[in-house]
Amino acid sequence: MNLSAIPGFHGIRAGRAFALLAACFVLTFGAMVTLLVLDQQRVLEATGHLQEQTVPEIIRYQRLARNLEQLRQEGERVFSAHTPQSRQQAMFVVMLVASHPSVLEHPESAALARETERFLNDVMYRSATDSKAFVTYHEEWQRLAARLSVQVDDVSIQGINLANGDLNEVAATMGLARYKVAAALGLVGLFLLLFLVLLRKHLIEPLQRIDRALSTLSVEQPSPTFQPSAMREIHAVEEAIGELHASLVQNEKARVALEELANNDGLTRLTNRRHFMLLADAELLRAQRYERPVTVGMADLDHFKNLNDGYGHAAGDIVLCALAQLMRDTFRQSDMIGRYGGEEFAFLFPETSLVEAHVLAERLRVRAAGYNIELPDGRTVRVSMSIGLADASTGSLEMALNRADDALYEAKRQGRNRVVQAPVGEQRLLADDL
Amino acid sequence: MRFLLLVLLLCGARWVVAQPNELHVALWVAEAKTARPGSDGERQNGGLYQFNAQLAREICRRMKARCVMENVLFGEILPGVEARLFDLGFGNYLRTPEREKRVAFSESIWNSSSRLLGRVANKRRLSARFGPDVALDGLRDVRLGGIAESRQMAYLESIAGARGLTLSKARTMAEAIALLRDGEVDYCLLPMLTAYELLRHETPGIFEFSGPPLLDHGLGGSVHIALAKDSEALRLAVNQAILAMRADGTYHRLLHQNFPFSLE
Repeated sequence: MNLSAIPGFHGIRAGRAFALLAACFVLTFGAMVTLLVLDQQRVLEATGHLQEQTVPEIIRYQRLARNLEQLRQEGERVFSAHTPQSRQQAMFVVMLVASHPSVLEHPESAALARETERFLNDVMYRSATDSKAFVTYHEEWQRLAARLSVQVDDVSIQGINLANGDLNEVAATMGLARYKVAAALGLVGLFLLLFLVLLRKHLIEPLQRIDRALSTLSVEQPSPTFQPSAMREIHAVEEAIGELHASLVQNEKARVALEELANNDGLTRLTNRRHFMLLADAELLRAQRYERPVTVGMADLDHFKNLNDGYGHAAGDIVLCALAQLMRDTFRQSDMIGRYGGEEFAFLFPETSLVEAHVLAERLRVRAAGYNIELPDGRTVRVSMSIGLADASTGSLEMALNRADDALYEAKRQGRNRVVQAPVGEQRLLADDL
Repeated sequence: MRFLLLVLLLCGARWVVAQPNELHVALWVAEAKTARPGSDGERQNGGLYQFNAQLAREICRRMKARCVMENVLFGEILPGVEARLFDLGFGNYLRTPEREKRVAFSESIWNSSSRLLGRVANKRRLSARFGPDVALDGLRDVRLGGIAESRQMAYLESIAGARGLTLSKARTMAEAIALLRDGEVDYCLLPMLTAYELLRHETPGIFEFSGPPLLDHGLGGSVHIALAKDSEALRLAVNQAILAMRADGTYHRLLHQNFPFSLE
């Protein structure tokens, strides 16, 4: 179910959406419960009516039936009595029962009782003059007695039928209530299903997408994209993730810039002394661990003070930049170049013996010596450099650089513009001293 | 010694707690000679009177009350209850608006109707004037009797002037029968059950009922026990006892002990 497709639902707050759903559920379920309560009320009223009115009425009918049956029995006694006293006694009871309010209140029974009383009274009168009166009229009495018996049955059934109305109403109400309970349970199930579907579609799945996006969020990856969410809260989180990615990219750029400033020389863009020492030390340790050849070098521009004095410091800076670029162009990608200070440069040549490094350094020296550096005012200058090399396959970086510096001094002493190797024996001697 | 005193104290407290409420109960007797305190009206009358006495005792037992029974004439019961001389009046009272102004009534204890009672010889004589079935509605210029203070007598008094009826009042049922036997009245208008109570001892063929049984004008309906107007708690207790007796079958056992038919 896509809530976004529902007009007016897009962008609704998740809390409000679920509150709306809960309100709908409460209202609908409340209505069902109210209907059930009304049914229960009807059942209570029907049972109350049954208990307070119908049952007493049934009892009244049963009493009437019993009195009618007694009327018939006393009539039989009138016919079967052996003495006038017992016959008269039975006749009095007949009159009493026929006069009883319970009989008189039921018109059919009252009429039949009155007819019975008159018949028996008449037979009693006739028996005063006719000794066979009871025999003569016995057949007629039997017909009357049969009518009384039928009336007894009718009254009993009428009484019992009184309960049928109330019981049918109770049964109908309970039957209806059963359907309502089933409907209410179905409604609860439907709402729960709808709730779970909406929960999964609009909360769980977006949260899972957000979790995946956050776990892979990095400056190397493009900013994650999401389908528009129907819930404002989810949409806000998705937008926040995009903003977070942009912030990460910005921070990475700043970090790179800061690293550039911290590690490189601002003028020549070569590695500064501190960073060169870190990188060179790590490479030296690696080479010594695997017993690979490695060579360090120190270079110094010849007569650079005179250049500064003659052409100015700006020209000196241009020369430094030009020679730094020349070094980058001359040396290999794997070789390390650092501005060691002023017009001094340091090198480290991995996987390179002293002889091989000498070839590289000599190439640089030759190219530098023949490199015409143009100044802004159109003049051209050439600067030579002296280079000292030292094998660094044993000993520390500082020691190797010191020996390279000694070799550089030796190159200066020999007349500048040359490459001098530090003697290997001196290196071993120094290493043995350590 | 302390233990003995404690036992005596507890026994005394129990006696005080167990002392039931005392109720004065008026029972209607059929004959004036039995209408005195302590007389054995129940034994002498039997039937309806024995039923009333047994009913009164059972109600008292269920209310946990100590009842003092007193046999009195019908006409003395209602004024006695009204004057609070009696707490309960077993006079088999039909419930009428006039009586309800004077006393309160319990639940119904049975149902009754009224009917004319007369001598067989009188009926033959009057049948020539009023037809074969002599009925109260058709009677004119005859002598009628009834029990003083009864609903039947009250009704007769209300119609006597218009119909030229001559009325005689009896204090008891026995006196009413005597009025009929002596020929001082042609008919008595009596409650059926009460009439039966006396007629069952009479020689058959002398008396007989006449006309239809009567329910209207307060002459028939439910019969109640009379109580003082403001004794609501007592009335509720009596009603509760009657309902309980009906529910557990005690009421019907009393009926069958005393009557060969149902009063309800």
